[in-house]
Amino acid sequence: MARRPRTGGGRAPDVFARGGWVPMREYPDSDEVDFAIVGAGAGGATLACKLAEAGFSVVVLEAGPFWRPLEDFASDEEAQQELYWLEERLTGGLDPIALGGNNSGWGVGGSTVHFSMISLRFRPEWFRARSLLGYGVDWPIGYDELAPYYEEAERALAISGPLRYPWGPPHRRYPYREHEMNAAGLVLARGAERMGVAWSPVPLATVSAPRGKSPPCVYRGFCNFGCSTNAKQSALVVWIPRALRAGAEVRDLAMAGRIELDAAGLASGVHYRRDEEWRFQRARNVVVAGYAIETPRLLLNSACARFPQGLANSSGLVGTHLTTHAGPGVWARFDEEIRWNKGPPNMAVCEHWNYADEGKDFDGGYAFMSQGPLPRAWAQLVATSQNLWGMALREAMLDYNHMSGLVAVAETEPRIQNRVTLAAKRDRHGLPVARVDFAYSDNDRRMQEHARRFMGRMLEAAGGRDLWSSEDTSHILGTCRMGASPDSSVVDADGRSWDVRNLWICDGSLFPTCGGVNPSLTIQALACRIGERIRRLSARGEL
Amino acid sequence: MLAASVLSDSALEHYRGGFENPGMFAPLASAALALAGAARASRRPARPAPALPFGAACAVGAAGLGFHTYNLLRRPGGLSWGNLFYAAPLGAPVALSLAGLLGLAARELGRGAPTLARLPRRRALGLLTAAGLAGTSLEAALLHFRGAFHNPAMWLPVSLPPVAAALLAGAAAHPPEAAPRLTRLARACLNATAWLGVAGVALHARGVARQMGGWRNWSQNVLSGPPLPAPPSFSALALAGGAALELP
Ligand SMILES: Cc1cc2nc3c(=O)[nH]c(=O)nc-3n(C[C@H](O)[C@H](O)[C@H](O)COP(=O)(O)OP(=O)(O)OC[C@H]3O[C@@H](n4cnc5c(N)ncnc54)[C@H](O)[C@@H]3O)c2cc1C
Ligand code: SF4
Repeated sequence: MARRPRTGGGRAPDVFARGGWVPMREYPDSDEVDFAIVGAGAGGATLACKLAEAGFSVVVLEAGPFWRPLEDFASDEEAQQELYWLEERLTGGLDPIALGGNNSGWGVGGSTVHFSMISLRFRPEWFRARSLLGYGVDWPIGYDELAPYYEEAERALAISGPLRYPWGPPHRRYPYREHEMNAAGLVLARGAERMGVAWSPVPLATVSAPRGKSPPCVYRGFCNFGCSTNAKQSALVVWIPRALRAGAEVRDLAMAGRIELDAAGLASGVHYRRDEEWRFQRARNVVVAGYAIETPRLLLNSACARFPQGLANSSGLVGTHLTTHAGPGVWARFDEEIRWNKGPPNMAVCEHWNYADEGKDFDGGYAFMSQGPLPRAWAQLVATSQNLWGMALREAMLDYNHMSGLVAVAETEPRIQNRVTLAAKRDRHGLPVARVDFAYSDNDRRMQEHARRFMGRMLEAAGGRDLWSSEDTSHILGTCRMGASPDSSVVDADGRSWDVRNLWICDGSLFPTCGGVNPSLTIQALACRIGERIRRLSARGEL
Repeated sequence: MLAASVLSDSALEHYRGGFENPGMFAPLASAALALAGAARASRRPARPAPALPFGAACAVGAAGLGFHTYNLLRRPGGLSWGNLFYAAPLGAPVALSLAGLLGLAARELGRGAPTLARLPRRRALGLLTAAGLAGTSLEAALLHFRGAFHNPAMWLPVSLPPVAAALLAGAAAHPPEAAPRLTRLARACLNATAWLGVAGVALHARGVARQMGGWRNWSQNVLSGPPLPAPPSFSALALAGGAALELP
């Protein structure tokens, strides 16, 4: 479908009104802005807000459209497929990752427009996984350094969570109260109580009471698409309006293709395509925030005489150490009606195996949540995992209201061979597309087996019958990891490239290890920290 | 008035619960009877009001408290914040009992009884309504906490009524001549609390408007938004407290 940019002419769409507009500051391409940010997702939008509020001039280039939730998002699984990054990518390896709907967003707000809103913190030990737990690599920053920014992100997103979260160090109370638990969540709760392990309502980025122009969640369950209620606290409704108010410019439908270096070896701006036309935005600093596939792709596509193997890639690590969260699932039928589509898809969580280290035959951790797939997604899962088709599929679908299940978010090991490279094939902009190769390690497989067994026992304890299991992957992380030294990482603890000191990365590709929880809160906390660090570096004249 | 508030509130909530259990009709019937009894008594003050509807309200309220407690404790999580927020509310059946007790007290007063529960009438009614105000305020505190006190006005019903209740309890402990200033202060606070009940309805109506679809989607939002019938229970109790202070 041909789309036209919505931002421009001094205004941007108002995310809280049908057909509404808000004023927006604009910069000509020829202006050397302080920061050009590629990608307006969890990392890019958050950083744009922080930098604009700190007084920097900011232009955000976003490949996808600027949505207005009230008019663009429909309660229709089919129509909402356009929210994902569906441009071509190649996928390979022993366990190729399905790319698209379950991992990459497209549009202002990025993947947070259709994420499930789970907002968990990393276990503190994970930041020193190698030294303390004996696997993976250490992060260049510790939990204590990130904790204040976790809190900042939790406040900004008005996370609705339990009064006491049973795992991790105590922290300030979530700004909003937990949501009413749905029946699918109560299945997990019942099973966990019978097995004697802790469970908790999931801290969610959707409000349980009105907040500003956001009405409270109406529990309709279309969260893995755009939330047309605006209850979901996505980057689109939280950080972007703040960034615009603070003077940032957001250019939608602007696909960045190459970062330009000047004679001194510093980034001088971004070539991007908007309205069928290639343009060049000059900038004193460039930030890449396109998520773990598009970020390395852009850096590799920006190879030049000085960096023939790709920008910021003297270590050779750009694109490597891709991790994903494995998502083994177990499903069961219950006699009583569950109606799991009511409410956000994941309402109860068990993080037991993220924090318990005894009784494991694997390194790393996993959390698992109650589920609530909508009918189309469910039919797809049943068809592909159970190989059911036709009448048999129809009959299986009749059980929809009686099903319940648990799916894990399971850490995978960062390994150099799991990586993003450039393919020979080119996309509609003429840019080489990304090739993503992935294979599980033995450890990854043992963890998934453990998760399947444990979740199966829990479903049985809760009264489930006829169990079967499925496989999946979700978040993609790593590929441009942060680290303590230039030869073992792509960027430093501030997201600043070791090679090109005015080139920054601020998204999920920074993660050295992926932990056993959903990443967006950590991405936003990192972005808040990077924003603050940049402000301080600038004040000291070290930018 | 309290019975009316209980009636409409439990009607809404039990409707939301789909009247899953036939017992869920009992508070409706009982609150309606208490309401009818009170209406009759106020139309014909000369004739003694029947005790039955009020006694029944006390009993149904007590039974309801039992049911609601059982319902809460058997849910996963047991006595947890989530269940206090979302399981059957403990405060609602207590309010029904309170309405019954007030009805009984009014009946006794109507018959010219010199004491209530062996206490001087002024002190007995004063303490009863003070306790009611404090309890209702506690319930508002729980529910407004659930709403994260997102509007500063949500602090009012958890701060003003307890003050009014304390002043009322203090003032009712003395004959009116003994503490005229305290009585005046208590009365002023009770009046403010009565108005708070009215303002509360307006604020809750605004809360309904802030739900998705606002008043256009009233049939859903009246159920999911802040309850319109809840705040008037403050007015009811404040008026009863005022009446207690009128007693010698
Ligand atoms: C269905 C689903 C459910 C999820 N549920 C959860 C959850 O419950 N909890 C959680 O924590 N996480 C969840 N996630 C993951 C989470 O949304 C992502 O990890 C997070 O948004 C990644 O942030 P990011 O900034 O790295 O990238 P994104 O948020 O994806 O933003 C990247 C943006 O960059 C743009 N872009 C890319 N390349 C270019 C280019 N060359 N030029 C211009 N723009 C470009 C993209 O269009 C996109 O908008 C979910 C994801 C999905 C898909
Ligand atoms: S259930 Fe809540 S968060 Fe999900 S789409 Fe509906 S209103 Fe939005």
